[in-house]
Amino acid sequence: MKRLRAFVNGADIQRFRTWFQLFAFVLLVYGGYLYIDLGNSLPVFACGFNDAGRGGVCFLLPLQHQTHIPWESLFSWRVLGLVFGFLTFFAWLLVLNKAWCGYVCPLGTIQDWMTALRRRLRLRYSVYSLESFTRLKKVKYVLLVLLILIPFAIGNPVEGLPHVPEDMATPFCTICPARMVIPAFTGDFSQWTLDFSTRTALVMTSLGMAILGIFFVGAFVNKRFFCFFCPMSALQALFSNIALLKLRKDGDKCTRCGDCYRVCDMQIKAIADDVERKTLIEDDCMMCLKCVAACPEEGCLKATFMGIPVYEATEAGFFRRLQQRGGQ
Amino acid sequence: MNHFAGIDIGSTAIKIALVDRDEKLVASTTCPSGGQFHRNAQEAFQRLLQESGMERGQIAFVTATGYGRKLYRDADEAISEITANAVGALRAGAPYGTVRTIINIGGQDSKAIRIDGDGNVVQFAMNDKCAAGTGRFLEMVARNLEIDLEELGEYHVRLDGAPPTINSTCAVFAESEIIGLLARGYSKEEVVAGVHYSIARRTVRLARRVGIEEQVYFDGGPALNHGLATAMREELMRDLIIPDIAQITTAYGAAILSREVWAAESEGA
Amino acid sequence: MSAAPQGGRRAAVLAQQIRESAQALATLEREFPDNPAAMDYFYKLFHRVYCEGGRAQPEGTLVGTTCVQVPDEIVRAAGGVPVRLCSGSHAFDLAGADFMPAKSCSLVKATLGLLQDERPAWLDSLDRVVNLTTCDQKKKAGQMMEELGCQVHHLEFPPSKDSEHARAFWRASVRDFVRAAERMTGGRVTRASLRESILAVSRAQAAYRRLQRLRAESPALLLGKDAFLVTNAYFFDDLERWTGAVDALVAELEARREAGISAALRRAPRILFTGSPPVFPNLKIPVLVEQAGGVIVADETCSANRMLNDAVSVDEWNLYDMVDAVADRYLKPCTCPIFTSNGDRLRRLLDLARTHAVDGVVYQAFAGCQVYEMEHHSVSRALAEAGLPCLYVETDYSPDDVGQLSTRVEAFIESLRSRRRRRQ
Repeated sequence: MKRLRAFVNGADIQRFRTWFQLFAFVLLVYGGYLYIDLGNSLPVFACGFNDAGRGGVCFLLPLQHQTHIPWESLFSWRVLGLVFGFLTFFAWLLVLNKAWCGYVCPLGTIQDWMTALRRRLRLRYSVYSLESFTRLKKVKYVLLVLLILIPFAIGNPVEGLPHVPEDMATPFCTICPARMVIPAFTGDFSQWTLDFSTRTALVMTSLGMAILGIFFVGAFVNKRFFCFFCPMSALQALFSNIALLKLRKDGDKCTRCGDCYRVCDMQIKAIADDVERKTLIEDDCMMCLKCVAACPEEGCLKATFMGIPVYEATEAGFFRRLQQRGGQ
Repeated sequence: MNHFAGIDIGSTAIKIALVDRDEKLVASTTCPSGGQFHRNAQEAFQRLLQESGMERGQIAFVTATGYGRKLYRDADEAISEITANAVGALRAGAPYGTVRTIINIGGQDSKAIRIDGDGNVVQFAMNDKCAAGTGRFLEMVARNLEIDLEELGEYHVRLDGAPPTINSTCAVFAESEIIGLLARGYSKEEVVAGVHYSIARRTVRLARRVGIEEQVYFDGGPALNHGLATAMREELMRDLIIPDIAQITTAYGAAILSREVWAAESEGA
Repeated sequence: MSAAPQGGRRAAVLAQQIRESAQALATLEREFPDNPAAMDYFYKLFHRVYCEGGRAQPEGTLVGTTCVQVPDEIVRAAGGVPVRLCSGSHAFDLAGADFMPAKSCSLVKATLGLLQDERPAWLDSLDRVVNLTTCDQKKKAGQMMEELGCQVHHLEFPPSKDSEHARAFWRASVRDFVRAAERMTGGRVTRASLRESILAVSRAQAAYRRLQRLRAESPALLLGKDAFLVTNAYFFDDLERWTGAVDALVAELEARREAGISAALRRAPRILFTGSPPVFPNLKIPVLVEQAGGVIVADETCSANRMLNDAVSVDEWNLYDMVDAVADRYLKPCTCPIFTSNGDRLRRLLDLARTHAVDGVVYQAFAGCQVYEMEHHSVSRALAEAGLPCLYVETDYSPDDVGQLSTRVEAFIESLRSRRRRRQ
């Protein structure tokens, strides 16, 4: 057991993650061809528009559909769909917590591939200043609120206010880059179009295409560019503290050297500077565990599942990885 | 019947204390250190044994302390004077109350020690580089005024009114300052008191560094100078415990430690 | 003043420096029984460098550094040979007094003394210095080094470290320094050369950590006076060879542990050393502590732990990220008292005390080293709250106070012993 633990803690988590991401990507983007169906409450961008290949569907899609109900139905059987959908989502989340983002989400994986490409080209990445970072963090919550409110407003028009057009039924999907990017992997480029049928549809799809452009440029220069704005991440963050997989920190052992913050794709400064909190899962965290691998202080950072350490910072592991990665 | 010895070899005087199994002080002596302090210490020890009618064999354990502790090779154990002083003061001060702070003025150093209820040293401060405000300074003053060291207290008590302020803390500069005061017509009484207050001020500053708590125990040779003791009381603004054995407190503490170490070792054996 | 010509005075200073080094080595070697055989490498190294003026470094342009926070990796990547100039020599301290006010820090004066006086032969060619803008005395010393004819790069270090501004400012400083280092050495910092130097330094750090880990064990396997000598050698020794020598020492200590050989008595009070850095030959206080029967098992000083403990973590092994990574390593974890606030230092001390089962702390402050003197207040309070006794010693490089200090140190060790007895 001790030797197994030493082996795991000495392992190169990034390499493991790369393979795991590839596996998860194949499962969710091409799993449909093998009749795999993980349901439609997944806490990742397993895009439902990928009709042929999808191995499961993103929870935000049914969520927008199910909030598109009149007020009185909230107290009828109809709402059960929403409740069950949410419970399933919650069950998924309970297991992996935000590691869904770091290990499973196909859109996240695609961004990591773009980062890898940029790194090969030896181009410097860019980062947000602390001020913009703090401001931008809030965008995802705004999007989350809107994607629930807009469909609800369609189902419950308010007297005297302009009606929200039906074309806004799944507002987030219309602007989500995954709608274009994920189906493209199965050769389906049908989403890469502008919808001229109504003015609303045109505006929304234009916005979507613009965001797609921004996504490609942004993710190329900024690590995990889109994840800062992701409403799924916001929804997960609301429950991340009760999940079973946790990122824990022993502040007494921390030298605040900032090594963890350096490698964090999401620029989370608290991981380095906060020595008070025992569980340190910030809303942007994707639990990729790069920080744990980059921590040279024995047992200072660790990922635990139901309290059992699964991956832990060790001195020996740190230096082994440094020599290995640097030697490549 | 075993006895236990503590030998405190200071820069000015050698102090020896003997205790019995109940840690009661049974005999003590002091003599000047001189240049050959190892020999002087041996001789004083012999004399003390003779006077108390004891054999060397009856002394089960000897602890040396003080500035010459490491050079006294006949000891079973050497311990720093700070630890020994703490133990001695706690025991000697017990009849007067709870000792928590000790101020010691020796031949070349001054110390302030804070202890807990068991006589363990909690904190201490000591002069590191300069012997101002120590016994040496008093000797120099007595020499300049052509009076005995023991008379300083008498002179101080005879003074009524305020003494002049001696500004120099350095013994060498203070010497010329004293000569200047005498030349300007100050009396010996005034000068002596002035010197006592300057030493007291300096020592109390040192004591404040460790924190002054409850009863303050004042020991070392100069503590027997009641002029200096008066000045110390005024500067501290509190009463002092000054026992008769002020000068041999540290040797007494070393003797008690001899008894304790011997007991612990005999148990272990 | 004697009428001796300058050369005469200089030769005398050097002779004095050699004498004090030889004496210090004799103390370290002979007054302690049963030193590990692997320590011989270090004793001989110091003898060769300090007493015979021999060079331990490989070929290359010497670049003097005056602070542990100067990024060594950059100097090495540019093809330079970094030498830390912080000196512990009383002879140089006296010689350097010409430059600085009498009440300034011994270490700064000694460094100036070393640069102006008859240097050890191997330092003759040294005229390039990187001086970090840390405390006031070091800042001004940098200016005086220019007067002494050195080519000084003033590497700008921020006065506080917690804000992102500070981090950005320091990164910019270090990027400039890359160019400056190239100018100093005539070499180029390339992706390959910086990667090599980061990896080589990190191997040394890993070896140091292995050694430090052994020091956490009880009974103690290594005396602090030896540990300080080992880390001190890092100032001027060949990097790879030093790493090998540390690993040899680690291997020997592990073997000694199996054989049940320890460096100190099982119940020797375990000491954590902090404050102004002990630099050879001024190991006055560590030696006093261990002569009094204590054993120094850990330290929080810039001549040892702070120099070697923290590691660089690179995310993308390209030049842009490596330079920033090196920069971060030298700012964020630094516990130097020059910074505005220093919770990190307190936490580090308490952590070392916990992991090394420390009984008490010895805090050395060089007279005139204001920042360490000032931080004593907060440190002693934090230690008191944690129930750790602390001995505060204000001293300098002169041997004058050894007699008095030995009494204080012994009393402190005795008080730790009695505390421990009471707890049992």
